[in-house]
Amino acid sequence: MIKLENISKIYPPDIKALYKVNLHIKPGEFVSIVGRSGTGKTTLVKLLIGEERPSQGKIIVGGWDITNIGQAEVPVLRRQIGVVFQDFKLLNRKTLFENVCFALQVCGEPQSKINGIVPQVLKIVGLENKMHRYPSTVSGGEQQRAVIARALVHRPKILLADEPTGNLDSINADEIIEILQKINKFGTTVLLVTHNRDVVNKLRKRVITIENGLIVGDQAVGKYIL
Amino acid sequence: MFLLSILRVIKFSLQDFVRNIWLSVITIIIIVLALISVNLLLVVKVLGTATVNAVKEKVDISLYLKSESEESRILALRSKISSLGSVQEVIYISKQEAIDSFREKHKNNPEILAALLELGRNPLSPSLVIKPKDINNYEELIVSLNKIDDQLIESRNFDDHRAMLAKVNDITEKASRVGLAISLLFILITILVVYNTVRVAIYTHKREIGIMKLVGASNWFIRAPYLISGIIYGFLGVVAIIIILYPLLSFIQPYLEVFFYGFKVNILEYYNSNFFTIFGLEFLAVTLVNFLASLVAVGKYSKV
Repeated sequence: MIKLENISKIYPPDIKALYKVNLHIKPGEFVSIVGRSGTGKTTLVKLLIGEERPSQGKIIVGGWDITNIGQAEVPVLRRQIGVVFQDFKLLNRKTLFENVCFALQVCGEPQSKINGIVPQVLKIVGLENKMHRYPSTVSGGEQQRAVIARALVHRPKILLADEPTGNLDSINADEIIEILQKINKFGTTVLLVTHNRDVVNKLRKRVITIENGLIVGDQAVGKYIL
Repeated sequence: MFLLSILRVIKFSLQDFVRNIWLSVITIIIIVLALISVNLLLVVKVLGTATVNAVKEKVDISLYLKSESEESRILALRSKISSLGSVQEVIYISKQEAIDSFREKHKNNPEILAALLELGRNPLSPSLVIKPKDINNYEELIVSLNKIDDQLIESRNFDDHRAMLAKVNDITEKASRVGLAISLLFILITILVVYNTVRVAIYTHKREIGIMKLVGASNWFIRAPYLISGIIYGFLGVVAIIIILYPLLSFIQPYLEVFFYGFKVNILEYYNSNFFTIFGLEFLAVTLVNFLASLVAVGKYSKV
């Protein structure tokens, strides 16, 4: 599903965010990418969503070589990858329902389809009773669930979650991880980027450890070892 | 799907317009100022042309003939003058035509008409009105006409209007140049303001644009609302200029009629008969300027 071959990302003058990274993630896997802050985890996410181009190497996502993806093709890629960030990225002037709708509206989906899909995904993340509330009136965990719902509306094959529990307490964090596991069970490949030791250790899934831009660990059923 | 996207883009544009209402109002005011200067330039041009035509009419040379002249001899003289190289046209005005024209011209002046009646006869002479081919060859024409020594000619009106004509041409040209400079200045200001408006709008929506990109919105979908906002600014600017200009033109029209007494100068009629050409072109020009300014601003500042 995701293949990184000899990937390096070097920022001027000579900052190696990632260096000769080789990685293969199979369809349907749940993979945690762990590491301290500034080790290159977010750079990896940016490369996968086409926000950055690698300095060297080759990236293949779902059989598509996105190494030198054109600007016009980036939206197509992003409709295939759901992304969840630590800072939610919700529009405060829209309700949770409207925020999720927005992802389909900007892609030109008909309103009838939007009205069918959006309540479904909001139900998956447990927001069916709060869908008409504004982000500022719900908890951080609920905001993050809305973001996950928004990421799911395109029915992506891959879900990238970059520190999704970073702004949440442990109870809300557990709930988010549970939702991610539920999504994974439906067949979506989940890439969880985190430095939350407890979350990773409870998951008992594949763990890839990055340190100073290098992969220093790749365990099939791993723990947070740093 | 495309139509749906267009409708959503228009909706987002209108939202953007309303959410940044003061910025929108200022942009439209600048567009209106630019259009005022352009229309001022147009009015100066129209009036300048009217003035030049008015003076040109006076440049015609008149040969006044003796009252008892035979028509056949007058026509022979007309043919002779027509054959001169510097003559464009020779018009024969008979005694009767002269008096008819005189009566028409003074129909609102009963004293003159009464005096004419008291006189009991037609006091006017027949005349030949000579239109020169080129105003610059006026002198040459006068020399040629002076060489014609015909007993029929009673008097010759050879006043040289070239100096006046040159002056009017000069003033019109200078006014046009100043107007053009002002128009260019306002157009430049318009470009800068629209560019800045779009830039600020994009900064305001940086977060929204980021989210749109994140969820897979195409670049077209992100850019189009700002481009459509530019078109809305242009449209409202032109509507505003129509609302401002017409009362203004109605106000100055009576003064123009007094100033150009005896000549047909109707600026309102000019605008009415060229309404779609004038305002259509202004809308197209403003929209093009807005579109280009928006395109540059979006291209430069929407990379988030």
